[in-house]
Amino acid sequence: MNPGALSYVLVSVFGVGAVVSGWLVFRTDSMLRAAYWLMVSFVAVGAMLVVLDAQFLGLILILMMSGEMTIMAIFMIMFMMNPAGLNPMVMVHQNRTAIAAGVGSFLVLAWVGLVAEFPDRPAPIDDPTAELGEELLGRSMLVFESAGVALLAVMIGAIALAAKRGRFGDADAGSVEPAIDIESSVDPAVEAVADADHADDADDHGAGHGMGHGT
Amino acid sequence: MTVLGVVVQVAAVLIGGAYLLAVADRLAGGGSANVLAALAHPIERASFLLLQPVTTTERPDLPAWILAPSLLAGLAAVGAVPVPIGGPSAAGDISAGLVLFGAAMLIVLVAVFIFGWAPNSAMPMIGGYRFAAMVLSIGIPFSLVVLTTAIPAESLSVGVIVESQSNLWYIVVQPLGFVIYLVTAAAIAFWGPFDLPEGADLAGGIAAEAAGPRLAMWRLAQAALMVTLSLMGAAVFLGGYHGPVLPGWGWTLLKTALVLLVLASTGRTIARMRVQRLVWFGWVVLLPLALVDVFVSGWIAL
Repeated sequence: MNPGALSYVLVSVFGVGAVVSGWLVFRTDSMLRAAYWLMVSFVAVGAMLVVLDAQFLGLILILMMSGEMTIMAIFMIMFMMNPAGLNPMVMVHQNRTAIAAGVGSFLVLAWVGLVAEFPDRPAPIDDPTAELGEELLGRSMLVFESAGVALLAVMIGAIALAAKRGRFGDADAGSVEPAIDIESSVDPAVEAVADADHADDADDHGAGHGMGHGT
Repeated sequence: MTVLGVVVQVAAVLIGGAYLLAVADRLAGGGSANVLAALAHPIERASFLLLQPVTTTERPDLPAWILAPSLLAGLAAVGAVPVPIGGPSAAGDISAGLVLFGAAMLIVLVAVFIFGWAPNSAMPMIGGYRFAAMVLSIGIPFSLVVLTTAIPAESLSVGVIVESQSNLWYIVVQPLGFVIYLVTAAAIAFWGPFDLPEGADLAGGIAAEAAGPRLAMWRLAQAALMVTLSLMGAAVFLGGYHGPVLPGWGWTLLKTALVLLVLASTGRTIARMRVQRLVWFGWVVLLPLALVDVFVSGWIAL
């Protein structure tokens, strides 16, 4: 098998893998499984890029997504009423809008894929990573330097936030729960509204279950 | 070298290194100074675990629980592939090898988190969250100091980085980077003072519910991860295969063993930090030091 045919097969395998794991994101019943299926999907896309000679881009995509998905999973679990992420829950909501958006974006992307003119005679490249470096720090230097300085500022800001003594004590002391007297200062009317909100949430959740099972 | 050759080479180095680590840890603090007993200890322990019945929990995510140790071992192997062991022109050397290593080391977070999450049990899950907090705090300094070695070499290929150290090892130029590398590497392998995810205060943490072959695989994978981190440290800071008299692979293995033993010695000698303090330490101490290291080596390279 010549290298061209092999990379064709590999790209197809990883492409199918990316689509299937992307589909599984919506078929699981847990936030954490969904997040990690999404990561598998991104890893497959990164592997496609590596096969297509964009090693650096593919690997950096995998590197970024692996850390990011865990952060995302932790935040999703924090915001859901599901402390460990292991209990089953419905993962699809607003089905009609989602179907319309999905079909619409697929059609637009497919149209772009059919209409756009792709280069059919690739230029010979010795070292794709070096070529990418030339591109990033040559023509596009201003853009990437600005992004780099912004990221550096973010890192310094994170250091400043982490080092600072906060409202609830030293940064290294861990989080402390807010004082209990917040409860007693809540206005009864506000409390009633909050209760009503909770009831609405419960209704929504029930409806979501029904729709999820129905489709 | 063929692809099969690279696979065999990586497997041999990782398993040999894992054995060395287990023996060294036993000698360092296992209550026995008997070398022969220490040499037999890893085999005894592995036999015991492989014959031990597997326990389970209530409604675990069984596929994830079984596969997580293999994922960790696979990541250790992937991270070791771009390191040239015998000399230049290794088959595993790719132009973005350092990024491959970095990606594999960050996915360790996923493997450990899943291993803690899958048993559906409180202590392992808390251990997994602890590891996430740890790695997200020390991951940036780790990546920065690893990537800093690419600045003077002007390449992300590990082969080129090692080759450019023929006159001067990078530990001489970046001693700070090497120290940060050792600290963060031990944390990524949740070893020694950084074994908080498996802490005794969590009744064993991520491994609390694991037993039998699954635990044996997990221990092997953790040790293999330590070997991979030592191998990369020896390659990018200690000049890899460069050295007099001995053949290239001899120097690589010697330096790797040295880094591995330094890391192993921390297991029984350095006190643990609370996880909150460790997170603070990562952001407030290690990250600024890593940035200083980047600026200094960039300045030297210019």
